Amino acid sequence: MEKQLFTDKFSYVFGDQKFFKKQKRIALKNCGLIDPENIDDYIYAGGYTALAKVLTEMTPEDVVKTVKDSGLRGRGGAGFPTGIKWEATAKQQNDEKFVVCNADEGDPGAFMDRSIIEGDPHSIVEGMAIGAYAVGASKGVVYLRAEYPLAIKRLQKAIEDARKENLLGNNILESNFSFDMEIRLGAGAFVCGEETALMNSIEGKRGMPRTRPPFPAVSGLFAKPTLLNNVETWANISSIIINGAEWFSSIGVDKSKGTKVFALAGKITNTGLAEIPMGMTLREIIYEVGGGIPNGKKFKAVQTGGPSGGCLTESMLDTKIDYESLTKAGSIMGSGGMIIIDETACMVNIAKFFLEFTQSESCGKCVPCREGIKRMLEILTRITDGEGKTGDIEKLEELGNMIKKASLCGLGQSAPNPVLSTIKNFRQEYEEHVEQKMCRSLVCEKLLTYTINDKCIGCSACRRACPAGAIAGLPKEPHTIHQELCIKCGKCYRSCKFHAIDKTSVAKEQK
Amino acid sequence: MSKPLSVLEEKRKEAKSRLEKNGYFSDTKIYVGMATCEIAAGSVPVMEVFQNELKNEKNIYISQKGCAGRCNLEPTVEIYQKDKEPVKYIQVTPEKAREIIKKHIKSGKIITEWVGK
Repeated sequence: MEKQLFTDKFSYVFGDQKFFKKQKRIALKNCGLIDPENIDDYIYAGGYTALAKVLTEMTPEDVVKTVKDSGLRGRGGAGFPTGIKWEATAKQQNDEKFVVCNADEGDPGAFMDRSIIEGDPHSIVEGMAIGAYAVGASKGVVYLRAEYPLAIKRLQKAIEDARKENLLGNNILESNFSFDMEIRLGAGAFVCGEETALMNSIEGKRGMPRTRPPFPAVSGLFAKPTLLNNVETWANISSIIINGAEWFSSIGVDKSKGTKVFALAGKITNTGLAEIPMGMTLREIIYEVGGGIPNGKKFKAVQTGGPSGGCLTESMLDTKIDYESLTKAGSIMGSGGMIIIDETACMVNIAKFFLEFTQSESCGKCVPCREGIKRMLEILTRITDGEGKTGDIEKLEELGNMIKKASLCGLGQSAPNPVLSTIKNFRQEYEEHVEQKMCRSLVCEKLLTYTINDKCIGCSACRRACPAGAIAGLPKEPHTIHQELCIKCGKCYRSCKFHAIDKTSVAKEQK
Repeated sequence: MSKPLSVLEEKRKEAKSRLEKNGYFSDTKIYVGMATCEIAAGSVPVMEVFQNELKNEKNIYISQKGCAGRCNLEPTVEIYQKDKEPVKYIQVTPEKAREIIKKHIKSGKIITEWVGK
């Protein structure tokens, strides 16, 4: 019954051998095993030992060195070595410094930060206190999105409980170290997950990115040296301190150490959060941990990195999951969203979905992102509406590469990735849309044709459902659809109980 | 000035005695998933069933927990019993919760068809 025994024994506690066995849980080590609103539970499970350890027997330099030697890299997306950031902030001479936690998780389909804060909020408090000790900061801010009310409540309670136990505040655990933290709420802008926009937002300015340099380590929040890390990065800290840099760097591969949490979503049997050691292949995570594609459908692509990432194909499934390999394959690690796409999806439409997201979330400060993404979206919309012109694909590539090079922040620099990677890997689908006005996956509505086959018994359900009056036929006799009147809404298809309506998309030449 | 590690050690003892007072070391412990995702899948009424039906029972500790990452199986409920392997029930509804109390908690019979593989 001893709780400590269960840490990292997920497959024992939860059964689920297939799902948990290949995982290695460090950031999620307590998620699902403790009561997140009870500080006693966390302390009893070994919590705050790392903080007490650094305060008792480590100098700030030791802590920085440990994090540096561990090889931990930023888990928010870019993968910058965490230790280097810590070192740079620690080196600055200033009367005031800040530590900041980026909990503005905005990627569609990613929810590991929410899960960590809701399941183990004290791990963030402890991690940030250690970071503050290492760099010489006395104040911490968690920038948490307002869309996560339960996470806000639990983190707030964790901070208050930690204060009561003197784990935050003045002279923590009777040492000379004082540190306190607070939560600032984000108002729902995706760009505020970008570190400089995030700091602007905390300062009360518009959430728009600043130019770098100066980097936050030199001039960050309120122009003070600031150490800014992602939730998952902070959640790794206490384990690194307890088990040592060597232990952490023994997990993973060459330049990517430790583990990464992935949010498995889309067409996969086991949707959920999986924390896997770096270096596992995409195939392993999708087919073994994730349990493969449901309903007997065929795998088509995997999208990593959310709206900033790319789509990888079947032939790339043996790519190892680490920062370098994913970049080389044409995607990114990102914050850990992993959307599995099966054969029923249209890649052009998927690219359009992500671009719609980044276009509406562009802050508008720099021209390439504001104007460029909009133009790209217009071209994509044209293509999916069946009005694509020869040369559109090349135009998308040209624009995309330009936006990547010329944008100010990570949002613009990565926004064209979903389009560019789908053009690279699924160019034929784009060409079919543009040249033949055809969507092989039967997704793009305007490229579809509805016809009635000989199963029709003349029940007239479709005729009544059609808002355009495009279906004609006498009761109990086969009906027909007048193509020139059809608005391709699909209502007839859904109303038919006899599978008598065919949905097809044929190449224009074959008509 | 005493060392932070020993101060924390004291706190851990205090935490343990507080947990003990609250029944943390009961022979039966029930953990109900209560993250946003679990709540969306319907764990609040499940929690209410356990709390209401077992409120007069001694030696049973009921707690919430965060999410273990099994979205498609939620809400999940784990039952830890002394000297036995933990059991995880998946996709628990209030009706299932009542059955679990009747068969598993009170009669010691695990309802295998609701247990996650």
